[in-house]
Amino acid sequence: MSTPPISLDRLTKAFGSRRAVEDVSLTVPEGKVFGFLGPNGAGKSTTIRCLLGLYRPTSGTARLLGRDPATGSAAFRREVGYLPGELHLPDRLNGADILARFGRIRGLRDTAYRDSLVDRFGADVTRPLGILSKGNKQKLGLVLAFMARPRLLVLDEPTSGLDPLLQDEFDTLLKETVADGRTVLLSSHDLNEVQRVADRVAIIRAGRVVVDDTIESLRARVPHTMEAAFDHDVDTSCLADVPGVTVTATAPRTVRLGWSGPVGPLLSAVAALGPEDVVARPVDLDELFHDYYRDSGGDAA
Amino acid sequence: MTLVLTRLDLRLRRRILVGTAVGAAAYLLVVVAAYPAFKDDTTLSEMLQSNSAAAAAFGINGSITSPAGWLNANMFANFGPLLALMLTIGYGANSIAGQAGDGLLGLTAAQPVTRAALLQQKTLALAVTALVVPVISFAVCLIGPQFDLTPDWTRLAAVTVSTALLAFDFGAVAMLVGALTGSKGAALGVASGLAAAAYLVSSLAPIIGVVHRLRWGSPFYWAVGDDQLTSGLTWADLLVLVVIAAILTAATLPSFRRLDIP
Repeated sequence: MSTPPISLDRLTKAFGSRRAVEDVSLTVPEGKVFGFLGPNGAGKSTTIRCLLGLYRPTSGTARLLGRDPATGSAAFRREVGYLPGELHLPDRLNGADILARFGRIRGLRDTAYRDSLVDRFGADVTRPLGILSKGNKQKLGLVLAFMARPRLLVLDEPTSGLDPLLQDEFDTLLKETVADGRTVLLSSHDLNEVQRVADRVAIIRAGRVVVDDTIESLRARVPHTMEAAFDHDVDTSCLADVPGVTVTATAPRTVRLGWSGPVGPLLSAVAALGPEDVVARPVDLDELFHDYYRDSGGDAA
Repeated sequence: MTLVLTRLDLRLRRRILVGTAVGAAAYLLVVVAAYPAFKDDTTLSEMLQSNSAAAAAFGINGSITSPAGWLNANMFANFGPLLALMLTIGYGANSIAGQAGDGLLGLTAAQPVTRAALLQQKTLALAVTALVVPVISFAVCLIGPQFDLTPDWTRLAAVTVSTALLAFDFGAVAMLVGALTGSKGAALGVASGLAAAAYLVSSLAPIIGVVHRLRWGSPFYWAVGDDQLTSGLTWADLLVLVVIAAILTAATLPSFRRLDIP
């Protein structure tokens, strides 16, 4: 089996006595979009900086394309595209100048793909960056990250500042990238963005990874919700005995419940009570996500 | 990737480099053009020669009305080095700590370039920055003969080199402190403080006994403080300035490798 593009093993980064990330272990498989989710300040950017060799881990290891990012040759970084969470480009230069300079650093010769990205995102490359909006700067950041068609893309909050149309364009670009066999680590605090494009997701909270799973199996894990209404008073206590069912709210003529697993036994039990109306809502990852987010307290950077 | 980061850094400092160069040139032009009015003023020369404290305040010794003395008193012993240091300390503090703070360094350090190569390119940009004021000053002096000002050109060239080295040394201090702490303020503060102390030691050495013994510790003494424009730069002067530069640059690499770049 080939080396995974990213692997972190018990990675810990402390600033003084404060641990920004602790014991983070992750493996990002090749050719996938890997969502890295967490509330602001959970440790996403710190993890990414350790991964890229910008921060030195306090303990544990980070491997980028099988290499220790902090030592030795930097040539393998040609295979890595990076978009920082807080993109700061020199105010006085324009986009064309920035793209040309970073292109030279990366040894980029064929600029056709870069130019096509500039067109797709409608990036303004003529005006100085100092007078561009955050969204316009972000477009340039995306072009910088993708322009050399790297094997691995590390994108920290890539769509912040982009309008919805460009977010769609970005989603399409991600799909093209993985279809090409390349890999994307997509950090975000927005679950909707991640569940649209990612195959797998890790959730980090207060510096620790609390979930690392595929979107599919997360969906299977999330309780579905159902609401049943009756034209007569009913005793719904029998529903709580059905395996996998949790009654979340009950009134004499309505019941709201969550369930996971097969729906058959639940339907039979509800049918026996003679409901007037039944509404089942699809899986909502948001609820799961918020459960993981709650109590995070913002105690990590 | 030929020197693209050196060129980027110099491009980002272009305004201050050009502005300072133009300012220094304009000032020195006036100094040079004013020489005919002062060159025969023996009272001024005698006053300064009889009052070593006043001379020390200008950072000079010897005659002020000789070509070398005039240039020393008005530019090469004081204002020139300070302008050169302003540029190099500013760049030194900005090149690592400043760029780390504003996020640009995080982006460049994530590119296919090692920290050693990154530092190499920044050191080269520092060297170019250090040359700006000394070289423009030398160039302006070339019109000196039009105004009866004919310094010893070899000595002037040597002082141009020693002033550039002096400026490089203090810029390298700022770079080192920036790499050690990641703080632009600390880099500026430490380098400026050391420069001010070193300047004082060198300029007060001729008149205060205690300070005189400390002059060896001041890079200013080795660059301009020993009246090099009149008596010439020695190999020892050059060696001290080069060794300081080499030590500071070498010490910066391990610190820079350890620096966490946000």
